[in-house]
Amino acid sequence: MTSSSAQLEAQQREPSNRAVISLRGVEKYFPIKEGTLQRVVGHVRAVDGVSLEVRPGETMGLVGESGCGKTTLGRCISGLVAPSGGKVYFRLSDEDAARLDVIDAIPEAEHTVEQRKYVERIDANHRIDGLSGKAWRIYRRNCQVVFQDSFSSLNPRQLVKDIVGRPLQVHNEASGQELTERVVSLLESVGLGRQHLYRFPHQFSGGQRQRISIARALALDPEFIVLDEPTSALDVSVQAQILNLLHELQRERGLTYLFISHDLGVVRLMSDRIAVMYLGKVAEYGTATEVFGDARHPYTEALLAANPDISSEKSEMKGLQGTVPDPANPPEGCRFHTRCPVATPACGWEVDDAVAWLQTHETLLDALADVQRRSNFDATLVFDDESSAAAVGDAFRNGDVPPAMKAALERMSIEDRKVHISLVPVDPVELEDIGGGHLTACILHTTQQLRRPPDQLKADSTRRPEANASNASTTNSNAF
Amino acid sequence: MTVRVNTRQERATRPLVASVRDLRVYFQAKAGVVHAVDGVSFEIRDGETLGLVGETGCGKSVTARSFIRLVPSPPGIYAGGQIDFWSAEARQSGGPPIDLLEIPDREMLSIRGDRIAMIFQDPGKALNPALSIRGQIAEVFYEHRSEEILEFLGPDMPPIIRRAARQRTNNLEKILLELPPLRRKAARLKQRVDELVADALTETQIPNPRKIMNSYPHELSGGMKQRVLIAQALACNPDLLIADEPTTSLDVTIQAKILELIAELQARLQTSVLYISHDLSLVKEICDRVAVMYAGRIVETGTTEEIFSGPKHPYTRGLMAAVPSATHRRGKLAAIEGTVPELVDPPPSCRFSTRCRFAVDLCRTADPRLITVGEEHTVACFAYEEDYGDVVLPSLERWIS
Repeated sequence: MTSSSAQLEAQQREPSNRAVISLRGVEKYFPIKEGTLQRVVGHVRAVDGVSLEVRPGETMGLVGESGCGKTTLGRCISGLVAPSGGKVYFRLSDEDAARLDVIDAIPEAEHTVEQRKYVERIDANHRIDGLSGKAWRIYRRNCQVVFQDSFSSLNPRQLVKDIVGRPLQVHNEASGQELTERVVSLLESVGLGRQHLYRFPHQFSGGQRQRISIARALALDPEFIVLDEPTSALDVSVQAQILNLLHELQRERGLTYLFISHDLGVVRLMSDRIAVMYLGKVAEYGTATEVFGDARHPYTEALLAANPDISSEKSEMKGLQGTVPDPANPPEGCRFHTRCPVATPACGWEVDDAVAWLQTHETLLDALADVQRRSNFDATLVFDDESSAAAVGDAFRNGDVPPAMKAALERMSIEDRKVHISLVPVDPVELEDIGGGHLTACILHTTQQLRRPPDQLKADSTRRPEANASNASTTNSNAF
Repeated sequence: MTVRVNTRQERATRPLVASVRDLRVYFQAKAGVVHAVDGVSFEIRDGETLGLVGETGCGKSVTARSFIRLVPSPPGIYAGGQIDFWSAEARQSGGPPIDLLEIPDREMLSIRGDRIAMIFQDPGKALNPALSIRGQIAEVFYEHRSEEILEFLGPDMPPIIRRAARQRTNNLEKILLELPPLRRKAARLKQRVDELVADALTETQIPNPRKIMNSYPHELSGGMKQRVLIAQALACNPDLLIADEPTTSLDVTIQAKILELIAELQARLQTSVLYISHDLSLVKEICDRVAVMYAGRIVETGTTEEIFSGPKHPYTRGLMAAVPSATHRRGKLAAIEGTVPELVDPPPSCRFSTRCRFAVDLCRTADPRLITVGEEHTVACFAYEEDYGDVVLPSLERWIS
């Protein structure tokens, strides 16, 4: 490290009022390509607008089911993939964060020259995809990753000495005998020793390999470590060893962790704050006690209910109906409404939900010829025969569709083989503070429900003339 | 959710479905003979769920696979012991059991998938990616239910259809079946099998089974694939279902649904289940009795209540303390130090003695036996043996208090 960057590093490391990592509306879309020309036909929204802060010395837990985007978010933070939208800041002071909040509230076109310059300066110094050479090196030193699968994250052809010593070589920290000694002290700090220096990864057990990964991450004395499911491949007795080690290291070295896991018990034990993710968005955010003791999102509640707990006396695990929706075409409103046990009519029922319901009815789905959609909330379902259309109409009116969806159906008319449906349009649900930094994105627990309470849905919908027009034009209509 | 066999008396009166006695399965490796399963004994009673718990490499999967002789040999060696199995008829008539390790392969074929079925850990790997769901489940019916299907179709079926129902047709016959006049009869056979497949899928609460039947494994989600595997396993209403970590690769919310489904089907079909898992908290929720394995041996057995409210073996205690729960403080997880020992030609000793904090010289030189310590509670630790208890027990007692 050059002396000037050492100064910069020391100056930045002062734990004045700052976050280690600040995420502002981070998005990561992966393109879906099709055909011989590999045209982009859509995007998988792996991470879709996440704003979080990780404070120095704390452990932030990121929990969610497979495919919810938690690993992708970890990779965006560690700089392994570039986010396709939003910004990741490193060591952003609270002062700057507050000013950015003010500026972000103004549309970009209306920014003053001064504001624009300010944002540019902040981006150049703190935004990780805009860092210049020296600042970038500091960031690379200070942000390390421990991966889930220690088989694929340790080079099978390298000796432990080379694996753990590699970061020291890259950053010109040490060489020769000094390097060996540094590696030995790193190995000792994770419970291995000098006798392990000249061995290959395959000669170690899973727990030992994970220790090597941790030693490598510690090599440059980082401030922040992304732990991406570090114990999910391990047995419980070994997992306990690793978790204890991680806690020990955090206490000794003042590390900041981002702890990604699908195991609620592990996350609860390790984290100060927890963000629950579902389908690319944060559903709930708060301290570990808040999220586990006073869950305010049905998804968190469902996760807790489904999680077997060895210490509790409850004798029942409850699962969730259905599967996670396609992240290339996420549901409207609240993304969880398709599986939510307490969904309301205002949670974002849309045409896709109606079609998904048809899929559970063989004959009706087979008869469905076309879906002409005017928007996500307004479409015409064309069937092969009139009886199917009538059956669908009947099912929507008094059949076994979810009651919330039935109530969200503003208008339905049947015309020959066509069923026109129009559902209550809603906005995406945003995270909202419900007191003391406990955030949730559920309309049942936030003031957002006041905007569109269920009894005012009808009145609300009259503000959409185009929906009315399309409906009025249908002749012989069978108004709902 | 489980219809548990609750009272001891009721359980004791239930007939045995399987009894494993001193099972030994070894593997020939370069370094020597690996004693993967080294003298395992347990019983499974009618309608109960027995949990077999242990960490990676403790031999729980090998034990389970031995039931239907799925351990490849070589390198596997069935070195001793027996697995007695009573089918439903044998249980009713009080007939003698079959030794699953001794019967000829031909007989094994008729038991495997029919009387004893297995659900595998990774549904992505257990399903054939090149076959439709219909094809995979239909195979079970062709293999085990061809007589019933033919009976349903009526007596006027030509021999070629009979051969088709048993999947014994050659290529020429396959072409003949596509042509009139056999085509219609072959279609009836196919239709009947399709009905059975659809019924099996409906059992597992798959929405729209006729559509799922025509899809391929890669088109289904993990939870759906596991439901297909369950449908396949329960298609013939087996006496014993072996579930080898069926939910390890699934998310918790899906896992809960799958377990609910297994428990419901088990209650309805009166199937006994051997449930293999590394997850203690799961086993606590769904099993009637538990057997804890360590390094090829059973160290403790008992009812779920006995094991979880009063674990005796130091390993069981350690394992339970290592599971993170709400009551733990960070950094204070009770980890079991060390790693599982090598199982190459192990000397007589308690296998856990290398990691046990209370091991004395005796533990390192002699094999402990399973001793009864409660009504159904047995444990393999010298601390509970009358003759040696005063050597080992003091240190263990001190630790407990």
